[in-house]
Amino acid sequence: MPLRTRIALTFILLLAAVLAAALGAVSMANRGNAEREVQRQLVAGSREFSHLLESNRRQLIQAAQAVAADYGFREAVSIRDTPTLASALENSGARIGAAMMVLTTLDGEVIAASGSNAKVGAQFLISGAGKNGGAGDNAMSVMVDTGRIYQLVTVAVRSPLPVAWVTAGFELDEKAAREFAEITGLAVTLSVNSGGRWTDIVSTDSLGTLHHPDVVSRRIEMSSLGNTKVVAVLSRSLADARAPFERLTNVLFLIAAVSLVGSACAAFWLARNITRPLQDLTRAVARMRAGVYDAPLKVMRRDELGILAEGLQLMQTAVQSRDRSIRQLAYEDTLTGLMNRTAFGAALNEALTEVNRGPVAVAVINLDRFRRINEHLGYSVGDAVLTKIAARLAAVPSVNSAAARLAGDQFAAFTRLHDGANLQAWGTSLLAALADPVYVEAQPIDISATIGLALAPDGAAFADELMRCADLALERARREKRPLAVYEEALKPVARDQLSLLGELRHAVEHDEFLLFFQPKIELLSNRVAGAEVLLRWQHPVRGLLSPGAFIPFAEQTGFIRRLTQWTLDHAIAQAAEWHRAGKAVSVAVNISADDIGDLRLDSRVARLLSRHQLPPPLLTLEVTESGFIEDPIRALRILDALAALGVNLSIDDFGTGYSSLSHLARMPVHELKIDRSFVNGLETDLEFSAIVRSAIEMGHSLGLKVVAEGIETEAAGVRLRDFGCDIGQGYLYAKPMPRADFEMWLDGKVRVPVIAVPVTFGVDAAADTITLSTY
Amino acid sequence: MRYCNWRQGSLMLGALFAHAAFAAMVTVNVTLKSGPAAEDTVIVFDPLGVAPPASSETASIDQINKRFVPRVSVVRTGTSITFPNSDQIRHQVYSFSPAKEFTLKLYAGSPKVAVVFDKPGLVVLGCNIHDSMVAFVGVVDSPYFAKTSPSGTAVLNLPAGRYRLRVWHPNLAATVPAKEIAVQDTPLTIALSIDAATASDAVAPWP
Repeated sequence: MPLRTRIALTFILLLAAVLAAALGAVSMANRGNAEREVQRQLVAGSREFSHLLESNRRQLIQAAQAVAADYGFREAVSIRDTPTLASALENSGARIGAAMMVLTTLDGEVIAASGSNAKVGAQFLISGAGKNGGAGDNAMSVMVDTGRIYQLVTVAVRSPLPVAWVTAGFELDEKAAREFAEITGLAVTLSVNSGGRWTDIVSTDSLGTLHHPDVVSRRIEMSSLGNTKVVAVLSRSLADARAPFERLTNVLFLIAAVSLVGSACAAFWLARNITRPLQDLTRAVARMRAGVYDAPLKVMRRDELGILAEGLQLMQTAVQSRDRSIRQLAYEDTLTGLMNRTAFGAALNEALTEVNRGPVAVAVINLDRFRRINEHLGYSVGDAVLTKIAARLAAVPSVNSAAARLAGDQFAAFTRLHDGANLQAWGTSLLAALADPVYVEAQPIDISATIGLALAPDGAAFADELMRCADLALERARREKRPLAVYEEALKPVARDQLSLLGELRHAVEHDEFLLFFQPKIELLSNRVAGAEVLLRWQHPVRGLLSPGAFIPFAEQTGFIRRLTQWTLDHAIAQAAEWHRAGKAVSVAVNISADDIGDLRLDSRVARLLSRHQLPPPLLTLEVTESGFIEDPIRALRILDALAALGVNLSIDDFGTGYSSLSHLARMPVHELKIDRSFVNGLETDLEFSAIVRSAIEMGHSLGLKVVAEGIETEAAGVRLRDFGCDIGQGYLYAKPMPRADFEMWLDGKVRVPVIAVPVTFGVDAAADTITLSTY
Repeated sequence: MRYCNWRQGSLMLGALFAHAAFAAMVTVNVTLKSGPAAEDTVIVFDPLGVAPPASSETASIDQINKRFVPRVSVVRTGTSITFPNSDQIRHQVYSFSPAKEFTLKLYAGSPKVAVVFDKPGLVVLGCNIHDSMVAFVGVVDSPYFAKTSPSGTAVLNLPAGRYRLRVWHPNLAATVPAKEIAVQDTPLTIALSIDAATASDAVAPWP
C-alpha cells in the first residue's frame, strides 16, 4: 500500500472512530436528557400550575374584597337589596373577568348571584360557612357545576362583623388550559371523579394520548369537595421532548459526515503533499545513481522534506565533485596534469572514429637521458622538467591539448592533419617546441627528445595499434640514433604479428630453427685468424633465412632475448668445444645484449655451459654493447667481474655509439674494444671520424685493451686501421659471415692465432678440473 | 355545652338575710367555662310587671388608637351617645344594625351631633376605614343593667321584686336563655359560667 494511502487511511479511521464514539455518547446522553428534561418540565409545570392558581386566587380575592368592602355594597347587603347586589356583583366580576360572583348569607343561602346558575334563596355549594363546612375567609376551592370547573375564592362581607359571603370564581376552561400549556409546554387535562368515574372536562391533549406509554404525566390533586374530586394532569410526550435532541443528533451526524469527508480530502491532500516531494526526491536520487548530477532538486519547502532535499542537493554536489576528482585520478597524470595513457587512448579512439576529417597522427616522445637529470639534479628537478615539458607540449597549437604522459619520461600527442604528407613536418614542429633549454631554478637544462610518429591508416584503426606503431617508430629512431622516425609499412607485419612472432621464436628455439654463422676476426698485423664472431640466423620455415635485424629487436623488447642468448651460447660453446677437441681451436665471440647483463645468473650459466661442453674459457669471448652498461653501470660491473673471473674474454661492442663513461670503462674487466662500424665506414671520407677512430685505438691500448674494428669493407680502411695500430679487423674485406661448414672450409687455409691455455676453475656445479689447452 | 349553670343554693341563702331591706345588693360573677373571669359581660335585669320610665341620658364612646373605648357599652333606650375622636387620624363611625342604623361623616375631634339610640337591641359599631374597629352597644329599656369588671363581677342595687335576667357577651358561643330572678331584701350573689368562642368573628345574637 503506498505511503499516501496509508497516511490518509490512518487519519480517516481515527477520525471516524472518534466521531462514532462522540456521536454514540451524545445520542445516549440525549436519550437520558429527554426523559430528565420531561420530568424537570413536569415538576416545573406543576409548580407553575400552582402559581397560576395562586395568581388567580389573588385576583379573585382582590375583586371579592373590593366588592365586599364597598360601603354601598355593604349597605345594600344590610337592606337585602337583591337587584342592586346582583348588578354590583356582575360589575365587579366583569372587572377581573370572573366567571361567577355569588353572595350568600353566613349560612350559605344565596342572596344574589352573577354568572351562576345559583338560585336566590338556595343553598350554595361553596361558601365561607354553611352546611358543607365553610372554606373560610379568603379560602380557595374548586367547584364543578354543570360540567364546568371553577376556581373559587370566598371573602366575608363585614359591617364590621361578617354578615355575608362573596364568592368569586374563574372558570378553568379550554382557554385557560391552552394558555397554561403554552407557558409550560405541557399538555393539561383536568379530570373530575364523579361517582367513582373519571371524566376529562378540559384537555389540551387533543389526541388523547395521555395514557400512551410514551407519555409522562403528573397528577395534581386540586380539590376534594363532597363526592367530587378534581385533578389536573400535566403530561408531555417523550417523543416530543426527544425531538429537539434528535434534531441536534441529526445535525451532529451531518457535521460528522461533512468533517469526515473534509478530513479525508485534507488527509489525502496532506499525504500527497508529503509523498509527491518524496517521489521527486526518489526520481532525483535515481538520476544521481545514473550519474546525472546536474539535475537540481526542486523541493522548495521549509519543512523536513525541504531539509532532506537540501541535504540531497549537497550530497549530489559532493558526489559530483568526488566523481570528478576520481575521474581526474583515473584519467589524468597527477604530476603534469596531462592525460594519462588510458585517457589518451580513449581520446585517440574518439578522434579515430571521425574518419572524414582528415588523418590522425600520433607522436610518442621520449626525453633523451632523462635518467641522468634525476640522478644528478634530483627528482624534484626532474619533476619540474617533466612539468615544463608537458606544458610546452600541450601548448603546441597543433596538439591542442591532446597530449599525454604515458610513463616516466615518455609523452604522447596526437593531431589531425590535413594531409598525411605533413606528418614529418608535424614531428619536426614538436621537436622544435621541446628544443629550448628548460629553466629550473634559473638553471638551464638541455633537453632533447626522440619522437616516433605514426599515421592512422585509412579506415578503422584502434588507438592501441596506432600507438604501438608510434612506439616502434620511436624504437627505430633510438636505434638509429635519429631524433625522429616515422612508422613504415615495412615494420607493419612484424608489429602486427608480434604475438605470433613471439610464438614462432619460442617454437624456433625449441626446434633449433636457428643457425650459427661465423664471421672471422683477423689479426691485422699478422693476417692470422684471431677468432670468429658468432652471428645468429633464423631458418624460418615460411619466410626463409632471416637476419638478426628481423627478430633480435623484437626479442630484446619482449625479453625473449635471454632465451636466444642462452640458445646461442649453448650452441656456440658446443661448436667451439668440438673444434677444440678436433684440434682446430677457434675463439668464438657471442653477443650479449643489455638485457642479458641484467641476468644475475648469467655467469653461472656460462660456467655451466663451459663445464658441460668442456671448453676452455679463453676460447669464449662475450661481446657486450656499450648500452648494456648505461642502464646500471654498477650492476653491469658486478656481472662482468663475475664473467671475467670465469676466464672468458670480454669485449665492448659498438664502442662510440653509447655514452659510456671512460672512468667506468677503465674499471671494466674487459679485454677488447670493438669500434662501431659507423666510424669505420666514414673512416676514408671523414677526417673527424678518422681522428675519433685513432684516438679510440690509442685509448684502448693505453687501457691495455685489444682494439677491434668491424665493418671493414675496403682495403684502404684495412690499411689505415692497421696503420693506426688497430689489433683486429672484421668485415667483408676479410670474410662475410659463413655457416659452419663454409667457415670450416675457409678456416682450413688459414693460420690461427694460438690460444694460450690457462688453468680455470669452474663454478660449483661444474667439475673442478684443470684443462690444459694445446698450443698451435 | 351551651347553657348556663345557675347556683340556686347561694341565691336562697342570700334571701334569708335580706327580708327587712327595701332593696337588695345583687352581685353577679361571670366566668368563662375555660376558667378565667369574663369581662365586658352585659347583665340586664328587666323588672317584670313594671314599665320603666323613659330616659334621655347621655353616653360617650371614644376612639383611641383605632379602638372604640369602651368596646362594650350598655345604655337605656333614648340615650344620646357622642363619639369623640381622640386619634390624630379621622374615623367614620357607622352601624348597619337594625336597632340603630347611622353613619357619621369622616371626622376628627368631637362630632357636632350625638346619636340617639332610640330602639332597644344590639348595635354593632364599625369604622368604615378601619375594619378592625368594632364596638357593641346594648340598648335596653330597663334601668337595671351592668357590665362585668375585669374580674368578671358586676354589682347592682335592685329593689326587691321579680326580674328577668339577660346575659350577653360579644364572644358568646350561644344565646343564654333568660332567667327569672326574685330579689328580696337580702343581698344576692349570682354566679354565671358562659361558653365563649375565643377567636370568632361571629357575634352572639342579642337576647
